[in-house]
Amino acid sequence: MTNHTRAIINGRYDGNSPSLLRLALVTSLFTILTAGVYRFWAKTRIRKYIWSSTAADGDRFEYTGTGLEKFLGFLVAITFLAVYLGLVQMALFFFGLNLFIQPQTEQQLLAQTAAIYISFLAVVPFIYFAQYRARRYKLARTRWRGIRFGADRAAWGYVMRAIGHNLITIISLGILLPRQTFYLEKYLTDRTWYGDKKFHQDGKWTDLYKAMAQLFIGILIMLCGVALAVISSGPFFTVIFLLVGYVWFFVGIVSFRVQSFIYLTSQKTLGGDIRFTGSPFTPTIIKTLIVGGILVGIVAAIGSAILIAILNSVFQTASITSQSGAIALIVIGYLALIILIGALSIVAITQPIIQHVVESVVVHNASALSGVRQREVDTSADAEGFAEALDVGGAF
Amino acid sequence: MKAFGGNFFDGNTAYRHSVIAELDLEAQILCISGDTLNATLSWPLEQLRIISGAPRDAEVILTLTTNDPDEMGRDTSRLVITDDNLNSQLLKYCPSIFQTDITTGTARKVITRVTVAITALILMLFFILPKMADTLATIIPIEREIAFGKVVVTQMERLLSTPSSKELSCENIKGREALNNLVLRLTREQNLQYDLTVNIFDHQMLNAFAAPGGQIVIMRGLLDAATSTEAVAAIIAHEIGHVESRDATRHSLRAAGSAGLLAMIFGDVAGGSVIVILADYIMQAGYTKEAEERADSFAISMLNNAAIGTGGMAELFETLNTLENPILTDLPDYFATHPSSQYRASLARENASEHTIDTKKSNMESLRYLQSICDD
Repeated sequence: MTNHTRAIINGRYDGNSPSLLRLALVTSLFTILTAGVYRFWAKTRIRKYIWSSTAADGDRFEYTGTGLEKFLGFLVAITFLAVYLGLVQMALFFFGLNLFIQPQTEQQLLAQTAAIYISFLAVVPFIYFAQYRARRYKLARTRWRGIRFGADRAAWGYVMRAIGHNLITIISLGILLPRQTFYLEKYLTDRTWYGDKKFHQDGKWTDLYKAMAQLFIGILIMLCGVALAVISSGPFFTVIFLLVGYVWFFVGIVSFRVQSFIYLTSQKTLGGDIRFTGSPFTPTIIKTLIVGGILVGIVAAIGSAILIAILNSVFQTASITSQSGAIALIVIGYLALIILIGALSIVAITQPIIQHVVESVVVHNASALSGVRQREVDTSADAEGFAEALDVGGAF
Repeated sequence: MKAFGGNFFDGNTAYRHSVIAELDLEAQILCISGDTLNATLSWPLEQLRIISGAPRDAEVILTLTTNDPDEMGRDTSRLVITDDNLNSQLLKYCPSIFQTDITTGTARKVITRVTVAITALILMLFFILPKMADTLATIIPIEREIAFGKVVVTQMERLLSTPSSKELSCENIKGREALNNLVLRLTREQNLQYDLTVNIFDHQMLNAFAAPGGQIVIMRGLLDAATSTEAVAAIIAHEIGHVESRDATRHSLRAAGSAGLLAMIFGDVAGGSVIVILADYIMQAGYTKEAEERADSFAISMLNNAAIGTGGMAELFETLNTLENPILTDLPDYFATHPSSQYRASLARENASEHTIDTKKSNMESLRYLQSICDD
């Protein structure tokens, strides 16, 4: 290894399935045994594993967050949210009731039911707030070569833009999705730092339409199916088209995420002159999703079948002791199954995808990295606590 | 002493220094020297800490502990050594290398935050939200409450219906007449706040409920379990008790407020949803048990005022007692959403012995007609 940074450096990932599986199972077990209190430490340990399995130019990344920090941040978040959510939800529910008129038609009934769930609206701004803060926390606790990453304190700006863009996308029936994707990514990137160097997102949002190609094809095929149904050329072709279109649509979603990642990465710069390319291969990712999904699905199916069989035996037997014994077995089995599925998902789906993406990333003009200076420690009080409370934290 | 090669990051820039590290046991320091370093560093062995994560290929990352502001209490510099022999040496000569240094004031911080959080939650869940629910329930305009109640009843009907029987409301003419007369008898001169809408659903469940705004629903199953008209009267009177106390409305408001809170606390724990449901159940159980007791005593006074005996009420509870699943009744008291049927039966019997009614003179509606309400 030379001590001068090469002009081009590659990402490497050397995490393996056995180690991560063992870690995931053990931490999940502790989490359940502590009724969830341990989950902050569990997530921290898994992040430490994934971060330190990732390296650039042979130097590993480091995750410097702690479980205690996450836990304390969570307490701050739920103290605030307890008061806010409790009061606001009830008030909204109350006003929701007041919007009622005598229900005469099916539609009015649905409208009333929807009114009851207006309480959800109180939470939406905080969901985006939590997402930004979670990202900021992860960045602030990531180091490479000892230098911290970071993000500006700009959560509320993100909240407003996220709500605005989502509304526009919904109104445009999804056609303006690339605009949302681009501008939200730009907002985040332009406020991200490595040491004293800032990232910047170049590019045009219209360039992202190429990434939506497969999505459009999938929709087109489905529309053909609908058109065939109207012309009624026989159910066989209609079903084929709808089915193919449906599957293609989901492939299109993955394709959009991958292709937009490739485009956006190629348009990012750091400190003005450092550039990036990322070239994950959509078929590889889809294959991982399918294979991993099938594996998890099989385990889930077998596990559920066993639990249901035990449940049925509960109804057959009359004696109370064997009934309560069987019920206890079911509860334990259910929890064990959930642990297993969670751990398998992270090992069979999340980690392989991380590996594939990381190893596809290349940093150009990387020699400029040597001059990056340190960034002060970021002490955000909630340490991702809001994301934990509102359950919008990521898989890892 | 053996020297180990490695990389050093000084924590001020991202420059990677190629260095040699030597253990000096006499001076109890680790010497770090390199061409690109300004000066040789001396790291005291007792301040050495390992950076944990996932050791790979005998790679070891070291730094010093520090009191400077840092999220981990560690110096920002990093020494990366890739040499097998170093591991055993370090363990031998640096006993504090795995130490986690807890900054002063951490314990206090933890205790403070935990206490504040728990206090806030208890305050919200057991005092503020219930009080708000009670207050809001009294100021909801009655027309709105009735509209909401009708929605709830319709939703319940959907829940209970099967493809073959969508309309569950029983409308046999003679049965309806008998039911209306019974309700009139109970509510005459009682000055109730709500106009009542009483319906029987053609479903085998042994249950009845009162939706907001005076909407009462009794299942055919419970109706059939009654052995006298007095028992049916008791069921209706009990539900009227819920209506007058606005229990359903208050319950919905409370649930709306606390459901979200509970989901938040237990988060995405494996099996978290189970814990949430359990916690919510226990919380509401205490509240609903109180409401049930109140409804029972309301029913008893209403029956007394209408000159209807409570012997039928006692019989009904005794019947329910024999039908109940022994597992559920063996559960600890705080799990139960109703007072035990035996207890409720004994209260009704007590009242019956204090208020004797001449059943011949009471001219009750025929039970047969009432129970035929679901016949076409």
